[in-house]
Amino acid sequence: MAIFNIFIVSKSGGLIYHYDQANAPMQEVEKTFGFPLDIKLKREGSRVVVAFGQRDGIRLGHSLLSVNGVPLTSGTELQDGRDAFEVIEAKENYPLALKFGRPKATTNEKIVLASMFYPLFALAVQLSPELGSSGIQELETDTFKLHCMQTLTGVKFLVVCDPKQAGVDQLLDKLYELYADFALKNPFYSLEMPIRADLFDQNLQIAIEQIERTGFI
Amino acid sequence: MARLGGRGNLDPKKVSGELFSLTYGALVAQILKDYENVDDVNKQLEKMGYNIGIRMVEDFLCRTSSGKCHDFRDTADKIQLAFKLFLNLSPTVTSWSSTSDEFSLIFDTNPVAEFVELPDHCYNLRYANILAGAIRGALEMVHIEVACWFVQDTLKGDNVTELRIKFLRRIEDSVPPGDD
Amino acid sequence: MTIFNLWLFDEKGNLIYYREWNRKKNTSMERNEEAKLLYGMLFSIKSFVNKLSPADMKDGFLSYKTSKYRLNYYETPTGVKLVMNTDTTVTHPIVRDLLKSVYGQIYVEYAVKNPMYVLGQPIESELFGVKLDDLVRASPLFKA
Repeated sequence: MAIFNIFIVSKSGGLIYHYDQANAPMQEVEKTFGFPLDIKLKREGSRVVVAFGQRDGIRLGHSLLSVNGVPLTSGTELQDGRDAFEVIEAKENYPLALKFGRPKATTNEKIVLASMFYPLFALAVQLSPELGSSGIQELETDTFKLHCMQTLTGVKFLVVCDPKQAGVDQLLDKLYELYADFALKNPFYSLEMPIRADLFDQNLQIAIEQIERTGFI
Repeated sequence: MARLGGRGNLDPKKVSGELFSLTYGALVAQILKDYENVDDVNKQLEKMGYNIGIRMVEDFLCRTSSGKCHDFRDTADKIQLAFKLFLNLSPTVTSWSSTSDEFSLIFDTNPVAEFVELPDHCYNLRYANILAGAIRGALEMVHIEVACWFVQDTLKGDNVTELRIKFLRRIEDSVPPGDD
Repeated sequence: MTIFNLWLFDEKGNLIYYREWNRKKNTSMERNEEAKLLYGMLFSIKSFVNKLSPADMKDGFLSYKTSKYRLNYYETPTGVKLVMNTDTTVTHPIVRDLLKSVYGQIYVEYAVKNPMYVLGQPIESELFGVKLDDLVRASPLFKA
């Protein structure tokens, strides 16, 4: 069982805290290709992504991470200044070792993600077939489950975990308690600002480890 | 195409293959009469196939509970399965291009041309073009754009009938329409 | 257990069918407005979920639940999207099977195979409605 991420979103929709599972398994595959390349790549945002032709552990949606060991910096540019697409298209560069993997979200992307959840939460209320519905409390996919608790003051706690993880409701309550204790009661913490408190981190870590191991707190 | 038992029933109620070939033959002959020009007939047959393909694919998907293809080799296997399911034919998949984006389906005979002899004036008629259209239509519905054409045809004296299929691109998910 | 309503969208996001059974609250919105809003939300959820996922996804987004209802989602490889709102006591895998039946036994049989039906247009066939109603009412999930 695992807790993948935790987000705390303030009343105004800003991300004020996030936790990522340490040593989350990174899926990376490196393979040496001959010319011509039998995988279709496309540019998506600032990444080079596999569009079609999945094989040998390289899957659709994986990003190109490095070419012959040279990492991609931003967009299609390699660290040594060459353009990844140009390198891949030129026959004389083959055989070519390409490394693919599932990209990890950067902090910036996480802030965007957290702000994306807010309108979804509100839309779920508006689209309810019944009167007096809350926003999204649980969201299920085949790879993870997201639990959300909104306090009466409008702060949202989001926990992203394994679909089978037990005791997440208790973790959410614990999270609220820790937030009240180590953020709000700290006179030097100002509301709506990112939470940077060692005690908060430590206690959260203890709670997460316990719930991952036993399924309750 | 042969009407097969619905409701997820994999045991097909088949219509006689002969009746099917005759019906299709009559259809092609009539279109040829109406259009006169062989190229136009090829186009019409392709278009009809396309219209069948975009519907038939749903039947295929719900009966086989297939997911999306992630690789063109997946796609080839599914097409092969579809021929088995709808026409009880087992074409061979061969002649892959080095980039794995093009392959051929080989049929021992022309699958819809049991009793056909092409008259001289329509040597360019692609008699079974409806199949090419059906494949293109079906794949378009699952977001794969392909080109599909006949390379060899037993009707024209070749040893086998060969249908070539080439991957062109992935079609992106459509974005919700804006207020306009 | 209760089934509130069912939405059917085609690949491009056009609402092709809507049916309600036990819907209690009606919004002031026009049906089309509501459909647009719902489709937009689903689209955002899909993109949100894709970015958040720790591993490669197969089915992707399945359902969400609020204090009053559960929205269940099923998308076919051709991009047809089925959305069914139920109450919260229903668990997702059961609704998913029902949605698959709606797709395989109703949509494919009485819309796609009907040569008079133009793909992407609203489904007006009466037979479609009757068969759908039969299927849904026969489901153990359904209780008026």
